Amino acid sequence: MDEVMERRLPGAEDLHAMTEASLKAAFAGESQAAEKYMVFAEQADEEGLPNIANLFRAISFAETRHARNHLRVMGGVGTTAENLKTAFEGESFEIDEMYPAYAEIARLQAMTQASRSIRYAQRSEADHKEMYAAARAKAMAGADIEAGPVSVCLICGHTMIGDLPEKCLVCGAPKEYYRTF
Amino acid sequence: MTAQNIAAAFAGESQASQKYLAFADVAAAEGYPNVARLFRAVAYAESTHARNHLSVLGGIGTTAENLRAAWGGETFEIDEMYPAYDAVARMQENDSARTSIRYALNAEIDHQGIYDATLRGVEGKADLDGTPVRVCPICGHTVIGDAPDECPQCGTDGAFFKEY
Repeated sequence: MDEVMERRLPGAEDLHAMTEASLKAAFAGESQAAEKYMVFAEQADEEGLPNIANLFRAISFAETRHARNHLRVMGGVGTTAENLKTAFEGESFEIDEMYPAYAEIARLQAMTQASRSIRYAQRSEADHKEMYAAARAKAMAGADIEAGPVSVCLICGHTMIGDLPEKCLVCGAPKEYYRTF
Repeated sequence: MTAQNIAAAFAGESQASQKYLAFADVAAAEGYPNVARLFRAVAYAESTHARNHLSVLGGIGTTAENLRAAWGGETFEIDEMYPAYDAVARMQENDSARTSIRYALNAEIDHQGIYDATLRGVEGKADLDGTPVRVCPICGHTVIGDAPDECPQCGTDGAFFKEY
C-alpha cells in the first residue's frame, strides 16, 4: 500500500459516542458479511458453480475493505507491538470468560453441536494466545519472529508452528486438512 | 440462550479475523513479514470458527438461498443501516467516519445489484460466466469486467483493483 493509496483511506478521528457506536456496529456487520460470503463461496463450489464462488470471494474482499476502513476510523489499528497486545487480550477474554461461559450454557441445554463448535474454537484460541505473547516480546525488542510455516486445521482451526501431527490434536482430522501459511 | 451465544461468538470470531487481516498489513508495512504471516494464519483459524458457528446456527443454505440472504443483508445496509449511521455522523461532524460509511454504502449498492442478477441466473440453474470481478482495495467498489481508469467512488487508480 503506497502513500497515494494511504491518503484515500479514512483515518482515525475523535468520534462522538453515537457515531462510534454506529461504526462499531458497522464493523461487526461487515466482518460477519465477509465471513458469510467466504462460506457461501465454498457452498457454491460444492454445487458446481465456480463463478458464483468467485463472486462471493470478491465481494467478501470488498467487505474486508469496509471492515478495515471502519476499524481505522475508530483508532483500532496501531503499531504491530500494540496490535499484538490487542490480539493477546482478545484471545485471553475468549479463553478466560467468553467460551467457558458459553460452553457451560450449551452443556446445561444439551446442545452437542454448539458445544463442539465452542470447544474447537476455545482450544485454538489458547494456541493463538501463546503465539501472540511470544511475537509481542519479539516485536517490543524490534525483532520479527523466526520464519517458519504456520499451519491451521481447516476443520477446527487448530494452529501450530512446525511439523504437522498425523492427525489434528484437537479434532482428529488427517494432516492433509491443514492449510499452511 | 445457546443460539444467542453462538451468534455472539460468530460476531466475535468474524471481527477477530478482520482485525488480524488489518494487523497483518501493518506488520508487513513495518518490516515484520513473519508476524504478518502469523496474523494471516490466525485470521484463517478464526474464519474456520466463524464457519463452524454459522453452520450450527443453520446459516448455510443452498447457493440460491445464500444469494437471497446476501441480497437481504446488502439491502438492509443500503436502506436502513448506513443512511441512519450517516445521518448521525453528519450531525456530529465526524467526517472521517462519513467517508468510511460512504465508501461502504456505495459498494453495497454494487453488491445488491450483482447478487440480484446472479440469483436470477441460479434460479434458472445457471452459473455466472467467467468474467473477472474486480474490487477497489480502498473503498470496496465492485465491478464485473474491466476496472475503470479511476475508481468512481474514491479516485484510486484502476491498476490497483484486485482481480478475482
